[in-house]
This record gives sequence, C-alpha cells and structure tokens, in this order.
Amino acid sequence: MDVGESPGLDLNARGASRRSFLRWCAAASGALTPAVARGLRGAPEALAQVAPKRGGTLRVGFYIEAATMDPHLSGSKIDRQVYHNLYDPLLVLDVKLGLQPGLAESWTQPDGKTLVFKLQRGVKFHDGTDFNAEVAKFNFNRMRTDPKSVRKGETANIESVDVVDSHTIRLNLRRPDASLLAALTDRAGMMVSPKVVQERGPDLERNARGAGTGPFEFVEWVKDDHILLKRNDNYWNKQTGPYLDQIRYRPIPDDTVKLASLQSGEIDVMDYVQPRDVAAVKADKKVVVVDVPSLAQFAYVMNHTKPPFNNKALRQAVISALDIDQIVKGVWLGVGVPSNGPIPPSSWAYDSTIPTEKRDLVKVKAKLAEGGQPSGFTFSVTTNNLPILVQEAEVMQAQLAEAGITMKIKLVDAAALLSDGNNKNHEMISYQWSGRPDPDGNTFQFFKTGLPLNWSGISNPKIDALLDKSREVSDRNERKKIFSDLTRLLHEEASMAFIVHPIEPKAFSPRVQGYEPIPDGMMRFKSVWLK
Amino acid sequence: MGRFLLGRLIAVIPVLVLVTAGVFLLIHLTPGDPIDAMMAESVDPGVKAELSRQLGLDQPIHVQYLRWMGRLLHGDLGRSIRNGQPVVEDVGRRIRPSLELALLAMLIALLVAFPLGMLSAARRNTPVDGTGTAFALIGICMPNFLIALLLIFLFGVTLRWLPVSGYTDPLEDPVNGLRSLALPAITLGLALGAVITRTLRSSLLEALSEDYVRTARAKGVSESVILSRHALKNGLIPVITVLGLQLGGLIGGAVITEYVFALPGVGRLVVDAVFARDYPLVQGVVLLIAVGFIVTNLAVDLVYGWLDPRIRYR
Repeated sequence: MDVGESPGLDLNARGASRRSFLRWCAAASGALTPAVARGLRGAPEALAQVAPKRGGTLRVGFYIEAATMDPHLSGSKIDRQVYHNLYDPLLVLDVKLGLQPGLAESWTQPDGKTLVFKLQRGVKFHDGTDFNAEVAKFNFNRMRTDPKSVRKGETANIESVDVVDSHTIRLNLRRPDASLLAALTDRAGMMVSPKVVQERGPDLERNARGAGTGPFEFVEWVKDDHILLKRNDNYWNKQTGPYLDQIRYRPIPDDTVKLASLQSGEIDVMDYVQPRDVAAVKADKKVVVVDVPSLAQFAYVMNHTKPPFNNKALRQAVISALDIDQIVKGVWLGVGVPSNGPIPPSSWAYDSTIPTEKRDLVKVKAKLAEGGQPSGFTFSVTTNNLPILVQEAEVMQAQLAEAGITMKIKLVDAAALLSDGNNKNHEMISYQWSGRPDPDGNTFQFFKTGLPLNWSGISNPKIDALLDKSREVSDRNERKKIFSDLTRLLHEEASMAFIVHPIEPKAFSPRVQGYEPIPDGMMRFKSVWLK
Repeated sequence: MGRFLLGRLIAVIPVLVLVTAGVFLLIHLTPGDPIDAMMAESVDPGVKAELSRQLGLDQPIHVQYLRWMGRLLHGDLGRSIRNGQPVVEDVGRRIRPSLELALLAMLIALLVAFPLGMLSAARRNTPVDGTGTAFALIGICMPNFLIALLLIFLFGVTLRWLPVSGYTDPLEDPVNGLRSLALPAITLGLALGAVITRTLRSSLLEALSEDYVRTARAKGVSESVILSRHALKNGLIPVITVLGLQLGGLIGGAVITEYVFALPGVGRLVVDAVFARDYPLVQGVVLLIAVGFIVTNLAVDLVYGWLDPRIRYR
C-alpha cells in the first residue's frame, strides 16, 4: 500500500502536439493570468510557432527517496515516478484513463480467460537486448515467481504465458479479470531486460543501467542525493520527444524547503504542493501550478471483527456524526473532493448520483441507542503522524464529541500503521491509498473477504459476489453499474468512513512546457521540454 | 599515558555492548515490521513468512542480537534489509557529508564564540556584554529548524546567494561544496556558538576573579594579556567539555538540519532506517554514533592534560 505518500495527481506529457498543449493550458489556466490563458486559447496558430526545443536538464524535487529501481520488487509510489520515464509498460493511459498501445501494439481478448498481445517491433532495451515475446514471457514469469516479487497480487490471475510467435504473447488466465489490462499500464506491465536481470542480480535494485526500454536511460543513483537519467536517443517511438537531455530527481523531504527550492530556481518541478501552501503558490508568478484530480482514496477503516465496530449501528453512528464537507473545507482547504465511496471522480466508474454521507445528529442518537450505547462510547483511531492527518483526526474528534462519542487518537509512523492494519490490531485506522486506474484497484483488495489489505475484516457475500462479477464482466457500462451497486452496498453496511479524494497539485517553473496531466499521479517527461 | 589510553579503550567495550543491546531491544520492541514497511502493497502471508525466515527475523531477539554481535566480531555489520547493501557501505558514504558539516559548523561556532565570549567577559555588564548575552540566548532558544528556514528565505529565496538544499562534496568542488554546506553549517554553528559563548563568558568571569589575576594586575600586566594568556587558558576546560560533547553529537548527524537541507548525512540515514525498521542499518549507525562520542570524549580528556598540566593520567 502506498502509505504515507502524498496523494496522487500527476500530469503526463506525451503530447507536445497543439491539442495536448491546449489541454495542458486549460488545466494550468488556474495559475495563468486570465488574459494569458485567453490569449493562448484564442490564438492557437501562435502556439504552432512554439516548437519543442531539445536539450536541458529537468530538475525534479520529490518528497522522499526512491526505494528500488526494480519495478517488479517495488512497493512505493515514488519509484513509479522514475519508472514511467525509464521503463515502458505494455499499455499506457491517456488523460481519460483510457488504454493506449505501449510496448504492446495491439491486444485482443478472444474469450474472458485469454488475452493476446501483439508487441511492438524494433524495440531495444538500453543495453541493446531486443524486446520480443520471449522477453515478455520472462518478465511475467519473474513477476509471478520471484521470491521478492511485489507483483504477485496483480499477476495472480495469470495461469501461464505462451509465446505465439516472435512478437505475440498469450496470457491464459485462471478466471476472467477485467482489471488486468489497467494493471499492465504500470509496474506489472513494465518490461525489464532479461540480460540485466540475470547478470546483475539484486544489484538491479540500485543500478538500472541498460534495464529499460523507456525514453530515458538510467545513469546513476547517488543515495539520498539524486537519480540521474539521460535521453534515450534510440527510443523506438520518436513522436513527441524525448526532448530533455537529462532528468535529475532529488529528494527534498521538507515541504517548505522543497517549495523554496522551486521558487529560488533550484528545481523545475515539484511532485506535490501541500494544501496549506496551494493558495500562496498560486499567487506566485514565478511558479505554475497544475491541479490534477487524483485516483486516491483517503478513508477511515473500522474493524468489523471486534468491539465496538462489530456493531453496525455504532459504525453508522460514527459516520453520521462526521461532517465530511467541513473536513474537506477546513483541513484539506478544498484541495480535494468529499468522497462518496472508494471510486474517485476522475474514474470512468464514478457515480455522481451517490451522495456523500451527511452529518445527522438525530440519526446518531438513534443509532447509538440501537447499538446499545445510548449515552455514547469510546474508541481509538490509529493514524499516521503527519500534520494534515493529525489535524483531520482532531477535527473528527471534535465532531464526534458533539455527538457524545469519544475518540482517542493514537499517532504512529507508516511502518507501525501498516503492521497494525495488516494484523487488524486497531479499532479504527486511517488509510491513504494512492489509487489505481481501474476501479478494481480501489475496491477488490479492500473489501473482498480474507484479503490482507481488507483491514476492516468485512466479509459480506453480496459484496464478494459483486467484486467477483466486476472482474468477469468486460463491458465498461456494465462494470460501472456493478461498482455503483457496490458503493451503495458499502454505504448500507457502513463499511468505512470515506473522507476525501485529494487533489494533488504539482508546481512547475514556467520554463517547463508540454506536460500532460494524467490522473494516475505519474509524471511522464517524454514530451516535456524546457523553454 | 599509554596505560591510560589502553584502560580507556578497554572500558569502551562494555559501553558499546550496552548501547547496541539497548538499541537492538528498543527498535525491535517498536511497533512495526521491516517486511510490512518494505512490501507495503503485497502482504501475501506466505511471502512475508519466507522473507522473515531468510532475514532471520523469525528468531527470538536475543538470538538475533547474538548473531549480529557474532558477525560484528568478524567486522561484518550485515546488510540493509531495505536495499540489500552492506551497512558499512551505506554508513561510509553518509559519514563524509556529516563530518564536513560538523567541522564547518564547529569552525563557525568558534569564530563567533571566542571573540564574543571574551568581549562579554572583559566588558562585563556593558552594552557589549548585553549584545553577546542576547545573541547567546537567541541562539540557544531558537529551534534549529526555525533558524534554518529563516536563513533559507533570506539567503536562498530572497537574495539567492546560496543554494536552498542539496549537497556537493567540497573535496571535489570546493566552491560549490562550501556554498552547499554554508546554510546548514551556519544554522548549526549559530546554535553551537551560542552555547560556547555562554560557557566561555562564565568560565572567564570566574577565572578573572582568581587571585593570580589580581596579582598579575598588581604587577601591571595589561588587561588584554591577562585575558588572553592567563584567564583564557584556565577558562578553557569547561569549553572543551562542551565542544567534545557537541562534536560527538554532530558526528552522529544533525538530524533536523540534514533533513531540512536535504543533506545525505548520517542523521537522515538513521531516521529513514528507523522509519523502515531497517534493523541492521539502525544498529550500524548507532554503533558509529557511539564510537564517535567515545573518540571525541577521549580526545577531550587528552586535551585537558595539555591545557592544565596539573591533570595527570594514570
């Protein structure tokens, strides 16, 4: 679980085409003066003169150090930021989260349990190795069987991989899995050079030289100082980039200092602007802010397996005592959307007709009585010791107190939070999920009976059936309906307290051009160039 | 002298055993688990158990500690759980920025504290003394991170004279290296300088009230000679004690300063290691910090003897 990371919005920049540039401008217009924004939209021919320029080093500030350079062993979101420039996945996402060809030129699904991929020809890894069907098979097998693989969950439904011809592979699935294609747009679809894997062994985690096929090549990683990538001049897809000579990632753990580094011109991009800084940064003319809605889901999980929250009425009492709009306005300062369930508004499966839970103190009273605690009760919440989450917990504490419910706050770090969650050693626990492009990634593992990330311990045959069905059906409209039914059921069951889908503003130096926002939170720099 | 040193070195061994055992116990008793922290997204119980077995984390704590000790006696600090790299390499790479920062901060502290402390003592209860005392109080009271942020906004963002964050090795690129260390060194140096100013002022004042100073004055020795030659040498002992303690701490990494300025030093390494529950790495850094303290304190003891011939080592 990408816990403890900043919520996710990212921009992608595959298009320096006029259209994508305009899209970018539209997204960025909040940060441009209205006149400039009007000018850009009103005079597209003027834009055509702004041809992308090659060269330059893009300096990116991150909040934390990367963990590993091996996409199959990675469990942290920050790694993915680097991978999307270093490795190519089989499929890529567009701004609407649609699937586009990546290393797979096309794909078909002859039946629910079979996926056939035609692979791009003429693709070489940075070490010169050819990319072909055998390589793809090697990679899938590595993800499925390597003892340290963190991709086992995503690839669990792949029973076997067949090489059909030199550039065609067939995935045979154990059961239909409509979510698999979207998983192949990220780490589970990223191909690593088999030669590097075999020759370098565990050192690949620190040194990815030659390992990818992406628009940029790995140069060096000086721990806690920087990761350096350089342009891959032989990149197989020459459309729109890569333009930059180099990308230099730097971890700057302190948010205030990271922002100061951008304002002083030491970095060109920062991955995330804290809600408290958004207003000030938007007022700064030296900085361009792009708001991108994320796929993230922040909520509070109640433990259904032990008191007090094995009692549905008490779960409902807590949810009805919370004023979610007030939390999003007061704590998140509007840099997020009140949540109506696990699926974010940026997803095609979002159902805007489902309301956010509203505060209702009369209902709280009734539910407390129904739950056998008419004069209120006490419980504790475990949450991450990060300023915004502490503040959120304090606001919840005050809201609950008004309803006669006492909430104690237990602050822990990310590692302790994960342990408490995995071992269900909590009454209520906060969870921050960075989100996945397919709604499956925000639902299945959290609500299906018995899965490790099902921290609430919820076990409901109707929910399980809907989750299974959502994987078997491949039609989007039908799936959307299933996810709507699921979300309603989650509310009925008072499964957890859904709070916010954060917006993840990113800030740029005005020199940075050609950036395209994609709501999976990843920053792809292929089409980015420097003015 | 030789016997003294040998005795001190032997006395170090139980200290190290106690420190490492204490830290080992504490970090293992802290809630959280290195495998949960590492495998955040995939918590397949089978995979977890297998990794736990491979890393020896399924053994009782005392067995793990004895194994760690056993390896240490062979000069092996083990490998980081998080990234599989030898702990020695990780720590070795991080010690350089921390040492450079510590020495530079110490230099700044001395440059500030000596003139200020001596002036304050010599001109006791004058505006000069008031200024020195005010500086010292501000330096002691203001938290490091606040000084750091103020310096960043003044010199980094507004004036743009110095880089806000990051590290360049001064041994490879002296100009940019010193520039990259300037703000963090000033941050630490001011706080440290404040402590030394206070200590130096009060020990000088005490020395200045001694009989031998009165005798020197009676003999017509000038005030500046009295201060710099007679009082200073006698007033230095407490200052050296403070210096030794502070330098030992700095070698262990100035956690907050390194964090704020994004310096790849030992302080940040240990914090990240604790967050990841990377037990071998935490142990390695703690060992280093303990050794740093012991060595500087030993050096301090030797300096005492040089400053004050009455102090003898047996």
